[in-house]
Amino acid sequence: MSGISELDQITRAAAGDRAAQAALVNRNMPIVFRVAYRMLQDRAEAEDVTQETFLRAWKKLPEWQPKAKFSTWACTVALNLCRDRLRKKKPVLMDELPERVDTGLRPEESLASQQALQGIEAKIADLPDRQREALTLCALEGMTNIEAAAAMDVSVRALESLLARARRALRAGLGAELAGER
Amino acid sequence: MKKMIVSTERVLELIAAYGAEPGAWPEDERAAAMELVATSPDLFEAALEDARALDQMLQNEQVPEPGPERSDAILAAGPAPKSASGGVLSGLSALIFPQGVRWPAGAALASLMMGLVGGYSYASTGVSYDETDLAYYAGFDVELEEDWLGVE
Repeated sequence: MSGISELDQITRAAAGDRAAQAALVNRNMPIVFRVAYRMLQDRAEAEDVTQETFLRAWKKLPEWQPKAKFSTWACTVALNLCRDRLRKKKPVLMDELPERVDTGLRPEESLASQQALQGIEAKIADLPDRQREALTLCALEGMTNIEAAAAMDVSVRALESLLARARRALRAGLGAELAGER
Repeated sequence: MKKMIVSTERVLELIAAYGAEPGAWPEDERAAAMELVATSPDLFEAALEDARALDQMLQNEQVPEPGPERSDAILAAGPAPKSASGGVLSGLSALIFPQGVRWPAGAALASLMMGLVGGYSYASTGVSYDETDLAYYAGFDVELEEDWLGVE
């Protein structure tokens, strides 16, 4: 943790301190983008949501109350924006999926790895929205149960139920690939 | 502080929801759950193995990074610094009156300072004679008091 508290950083960013604004963006933009990407499965749309989230943050900063971490607040905003888009979103076609990053593996290794990764990513994408949100925040982004429940505006028990169902669905869907991990 | 107690069923629920890594379990139940797992590992071995395999796959999930142009656009829209419209005078005013200028109080303070400075200046130069003056007057045999008073 740096010597400057998050509240100090937010106060300075609200006053126009460019360095504080950059630090806030650098620290929180990746998680907001990843959450949005997992929800929308579309890079450009996830970037739009990320940008919109921070534009709202800039307006919110002058009246910021440290009731929650900035990342929790930002993920809440991003999730709401994603839900709005998902309501209007047409089904994603397979040939529109984003390209994979070159991992430097040999072709046969790369193929096996890609199949496995596509497996887990495709299965995550297939989860119902709320289960995907819960899994993203807790299992993939490491939020605590309290932070994730706050971001999703549900109780901790409801969050646990969503997580358990998400993991059960993934295990069922992955089947043989999961057995290979043991 | 009262020690938390968790049941076998609750630990299985934690594993089912949060996975095999105790660091992901709720903080308030973690220690008790870990203690129970350590005490009776056979009860949880199968559940932990299943959860660990899924945890491993989730860790390998890849997500692209956002493009740098987006962070540039976000930063360009950030709140602007407060403008320094008063320039030097504003800075001087802030230095003298850090709580802001309040005209009645400022005027009273200025009047007080002018009075003090004026009074001190007069007191230090008005009526005293130094040694040079006294030598001069002695040399010309001047009756200081009478001269001063205009009396022959």
